[in-house]
Amino acid sequence: MSLSVAEILEALPRADDPDERGLSAEATRALFEKLSKRPMPTGSLHRLWNLGDVHARVGIAYLFYWIRSWFKSTDARQQDLVETNLRAALKLLEMMGYLRGAVMKMGQTLANLKDIAPDEFTDVLEKLHFEAPAMHYSLIREQLCSELGGDPEELFDEFETEAFAAASLGQVHRARLKTGERVAIKVQYPGIGRTIRADLRNLTPLLLPARLTKDWENVKAQVDEVRRSLERETDYEDEARLLEKARDLFTEDDNILVPRVYREFSTARVLTMQFVGGVHIHDFLSLNPSQEARNQAAELMMRAWYRLLYKGRMEYIDWHPGNFLFQDGKLGLIDMGGVWCLNDAAFDTMLRADHAMQTGDRNDISDFVRHWCEIGDDPSDQERLLKSVEYCEHVWKARIQPGVMDFGDAEDLRKTIDLLAELTKKRYTRGRSASPLVTRWELAYRTMLYRLGAKIDVHPIRDEEVKVTC
Amino acid sequence: MPRITEEAKQATRKRILDTALSLFKSKGFEQATTRDIANEAGIAAGTLFNYFPAKEDIVMALVTVALARAAEEFAKQKREGASLEEDLFLNVSTGLRRLKPYRRYVGPVLETTLSPMVASASNEQAQAIRVAHLERVQEAISSHGQSLATWTIAMQLYWTLYTGVLAFWVNDSSPKQEDTLAMLDQSISMFVSWLKERGNG
Repeated sequence: MSLSVAEILEALPRADDPDERGLSAEATRALFEKLSKRPMPTGSLHRLWNLGDVHARVGIAYLFYWIRSWFKSTDARQQDLVETNLRAALKLLEMMGYLRGAVMKMGQTLANLKDIAPDEFTDVLEKLHFEAPAMHYSLIREQLCSELGGDPEELFDEFETEAFAAASLGQVHRARLKTGERVAIKVQYPGIGRTIRADLRNLTPLLLPARLTKDWENVKAQVDEVRRSLERETDYEDEARLLEKARDLFTEDDNILVPRVYREFSTARVLTMQFVGGVHIHDFLSLNPSQEARNQAAELMMRAWYRLLYKGRMEYIDWHPGNFLFQDGKLGLIDMGGVWCLNDAAFDTMLRADHAMQTGDRNDISDFVRHWCEIGDDPSDQERLLKSVEYCEHVWKARIQPGVMDFGDAEDLRKTIDLLAELTKKRYTRGRSASPLVTRWELAYRTMLYRLGAKIDVHPIRDEEVKVTC
Repeated sequence: MPRITEEAKQATRKRILDTALSLFKSKGFEQATTRDIANEAGIAAGTLFNYFPAKEDIVMALVTVALARAAEEFAKQKREGASLEEDLFLNVSTGLRRLKPYRRYVGPVLETTLSPMVASASNEQAQAIRVAHLERVQEAISSHGQSLATWTIAMQLYWTLYTGVLAFWVNDSSPKQEDTLAMLDQSISMFVSWLKERGNG
């Protein structure tokens, strides 16, 4: 993925580009109106074209433009920048509503960067979590009949015809089983899973121009890992299996609830789960919770993450707001689409990382970085090693330094992104195939705890979870 | 010679259709001959031709019955407050559900009777299907406050999309024909967008 960065940087919009300035209110309204009219393409080539055009040109390029702009002097460019933010966000939203699926993940990651990114940018992108274009009830009815063998009226005691949430590949409806249980039913848009899988297979050939570079095999391995991860997200049967596995890891005393799956009403394209009450982070924060309540929410999220990792050997990658519900000191974990399942070798590697974090010793961290980033003794790799160690020492600060960490420190989060941007710009991205997944998690978890303004000590949580499970 | 009552005629007609459907399923449309159908139904071949001059007419009759039931289901399932897209989608999807048992062999018949290329008066049953379907479409459009000066163009455009979806569905090899649902959703959405632009213009 990093190989396209240079091209992207070249293609960045400039603040003095007349096309990127002065988005009028009328143009904004017109763009929003178009959102409701665009159907989702399921043709692979059509989607591929859109992925290349919008995902790369607007999404990634904009991210780097935005990061790069931090290094410039401020003041004079402020107004142009805000307008460029809005314009890019709207373009992205338009196309994401159109494509949903894999591309939506990009917006979800960006939207977590509340307050770090300009408000106009994140406010618009945040709508992606819950306001993706809807399937009407006639289409939902057909999809359910096709998958479950009956109309909603026959299958369920009650079925809400309006969706109550958008999912990245479809939408979620509330219902009640004939046996009385309240459920949430996630329904995929017809054909979207196959289309995404086809698109992802088409991505690798796009990288072929990079095949002569020395890191080609590594880039390909990383892309393949991302591809497998996204493909898994299109299969609700796989998600049902992971939900069941995760649910078994928690007891009532943990105050962490993973919903039960109703297998008889679930397929690869329809997932029926126990309905979990609660509010998402935006509504949780709008209630102006106390610092204690914020910390408690963050601690539950960290405990869930550690439990899944150590006891379940699953790294919970997908920390976007739609996946977490908060209610009365409890946490609901309602989506298991974005999970990296660790084999023995991967788990051993995670233990090595944990050891380095535990000692905080630079030699241990360097040893781990050499292992993770495949750095040998070549002198030309020295800067790569130093920069990678600097990045690890920063993102592992909550573990390396004793006591409470203030995750609400904007400068600290900004430095995380700066370091990541620097590594990416210098193409220091060689690493284990799961590197993009782990990086996605590092960024997502830090931004989520940043939004919560959490001040917590992760050491006791880690120690308890490791003690119980290792 | 005793006259055959209308009731007896309808019973025979129904027996022929049931038998044909059963044979199409077991032997396949191509392999099942009109003679087989007549034998299985316990009537003379000549009698069968009095009811249905060709095997394709039997299929057309099956389609007519299926779509009549679909129209009843459409009326029953139509929701208060639904969007125009939802109503138009339902009008087609109820039909596809009822036609599903005939999907493997209905293609050539639909091609020669319902295609926009076919003169509208060439087949009485096909013409009746077309009229009934388009009446429901017009009613749905009108009930959503859309008025058009040029219904002819709108209906021709709609019919072209509709028969295009039918042709796609007949050959759809995707799991559970899920691509047809996406195709229908997008076709309807495209048509309604066009309609609204025309209406606003």
